[in-house]
Amino acid sequence: MKVVVLGAGISGHTCALLLRKKLSKKHQVVVISPNEKWNWIPSNIWVGVGLMTPEDVTFPLKPVYDKMGIEFIQAKAKSIYPEGKGANNKPFVVAESTNKESLGREITVDYDYLVNATGPKLNFAATPGLGPDNGNSLSVCTAEHAHETAKKLNKLIEEMRSGQQKTFVIGTGHGLCTCEGAAFEYVFNLEFQLHQQGVRDKAKIVFITNEAELGDFGVGGLHLKNNGFITPSRVFAESLFVERGVDWITGTHVHQVEPNVIHYESLDGSKSSISFDFAMLLPPFTGAQLKAYDKNDGDITSTLFNPGGFMKVDADYSGKPYEQWNAEDWPKTYQTSFKNIFSIGIAFAPPHQISKPLKSANGTPIAPAPPRTGMPSAIMGRIVASSITDMINGKSDTPTHAASMAEIGAACVASAGANPISGSAVSMTMFPIVHNYNKYPDYGRSLTYTSGEIGLSGHWIKKLLHYAFIYKAKAKPFWWIIPE
Amino acid sequence: MSLIESKNYRAPTATPTTLFLRSFLPWQVLRFIIINIRMTFMILKSHGKKLKTVKK
Ligand SMILES: Cc1cc2nc3c(=O)[nH]c(=O)nc-3n(C[C@H](O)[C@H](O)[C@H](O)COP(=O)(O)OP(=O)(O)OC[C@H]3O[C@@H](n4cnc5c(N)ncnc54)[C@H](O)[C@@H]3O)c2cc1C
Repeated sequence: MKVVVLGAGISGHTCALLLRKKLSKKHQVVVISPNEKWNWIPSNIWVGVGLMTPEDVTFPLKPVYDKMGIEFIQAKAKSIYPEGKGANNKPFVVAESTNKESLGREITVDYDYLVNATGPKLNFAATPGLGPDNGNSLSVCTAEHAHETAKKLNKLIEEMRSGQQKTFVIGTGHGLCTCEGAAFEYVFNLEFQLHQQGVRDKAKIVFITNEAELGDFGVGGLHLKNNGFITPSRVFAESLFVERGVDWITGTHVHQVEPNVIHYESLDGSKSSISFDFAMLLPPFTGAQLKAYDKNDGDITSTLFNPGGFMKVDADYSGKPYEQWNAEDWPKTYQTSFKNIFSIGIAFAPPHQISKPLKSANGTPIAPAPPRTGMPSAIMGRIVASSITDMINGKSDTPTHAASMAEIGAACVASAGANPISGSAVSMTMFPIVHNYNKYPDYGRSLTYTSGEIGLSGHWIKKLLHYAFIYKAKAKPFWWIIPE
Repeated sequence: MSLIESKNYRAPTATPTTLFLRSFLPWQVLRFIIINIRMTFMILKSHGKKLKTVKK
């Protein structure tokens, strides 16, 4: 049998390595992914403040796959033919080579099982002027973007040393962004770095976010048991922003980024602008925009994908109103309507947001999309590898493993300044990720297993995770012992 | 929402002791151990579940 994994990011790479470990050698594992290198994305934050280089957070994939006996095709998947084509019943994927030697060449790869782990497409085009390539803002979403951001930061630090005042605006570049945690990390790493460089007094720092309140993180915030109180994460977040002198604007949709000016709309419907010297704004995400065709070349993209390009799996996509949302809406096995196609990580279509979706007084949607962070993405990779292995080995005709985001938790460490003695990070656990009011009627999450604290030890953990996950991704000895 | 200026906003503030403990090495070593235990629990609770095998 042949299993093809699309995407070599956190979920796809985990899935491919585990498939190779679990399946006997007579079965083939193939990875199709456009980038030659693997990237530990969480550490891009440190690249973006100049503390790490792109080389510190990436490594070439081919030697790892060669060592493991996985075939690596450096290409970008374009379309899926889940029923084959014409007289040929074998399902296949069409991809376009991104390898220098065969750039642009069309490749056809057949499969018995397919895992779509293509992650997000960074949709800078959603907001005019957003992004580093054709726009006026910076990004830390890829190692290269983060490196460019660090160069601009260093230039500004030099100018501040000569006495100039600068305004830094960090946050989300659209009302439907996700990954607010990454913007949170960047703003505090930036603040810390300016402090370290002795120019903090020359900087005004503003956090602009689509979250209705600080500490929402796209998961509707957390409730934490603390000193005899049950306190919302908003209180802790606001406390940290005040302590570090970072101003904020919540509930925003950015309409346009002009050179040095951001135009945005707020939940109350008002429209304002803010000038900047340095803006790092995250883009909204769409899916990888794959197409799907039936046997007769008929377009069945809407059967497999939602309008955003995310792949529909075993979730409830009926589009219920917020009041009727339920933990049961969330997918469990990540199998699609084709029993040999699965989708994991950011690539799968969530049934709805986790935070309450809001609209501005003018009707503009301002609603954080649900984050699918590293830990759940990798767990999905693991359970799908286990299900496919059991199905290939004839143990079952249906998936044998499940991990609904309404039943699993996440551990998250958000860096707030990188230094082994004076740094800090917020260490959070939440259980489950998606509110499960059936199990936890009061807050939707367990107050025992949901926690958060800030301190130096969090930084040590974040640094340790950097080394541990790169070690694991390189498939070095006993890599599989390191949990997701 | 309009811009909130942190210097004029009344949020709960950490006491000097809390701030000190956040980077006080012996305390942070202890927190390191506790957070790791907490995260290990989270990992153990979060590896999904096995479903019944179905042969058609
Ligand atoms: C700056 C930043 C910081 C973050 N920090 C944290 C953190 O501290 N903790 C945390 O848990 N999470 C963090 N996240 C989120 C985390 O990175 C994601 O949850 C995780 O990467 C999702 O994994 P994935 O496999 O779905 O997608 P990705 O890791 O993005 O992988 C997608 C893969 O698919 C490939 N691909 C794309 N298109 C195609 C195509 N057409 N064909 C084939 N392959 C394709 C890509 O090249 C890539 O290899 C952060 C994210 C950002 C942007």
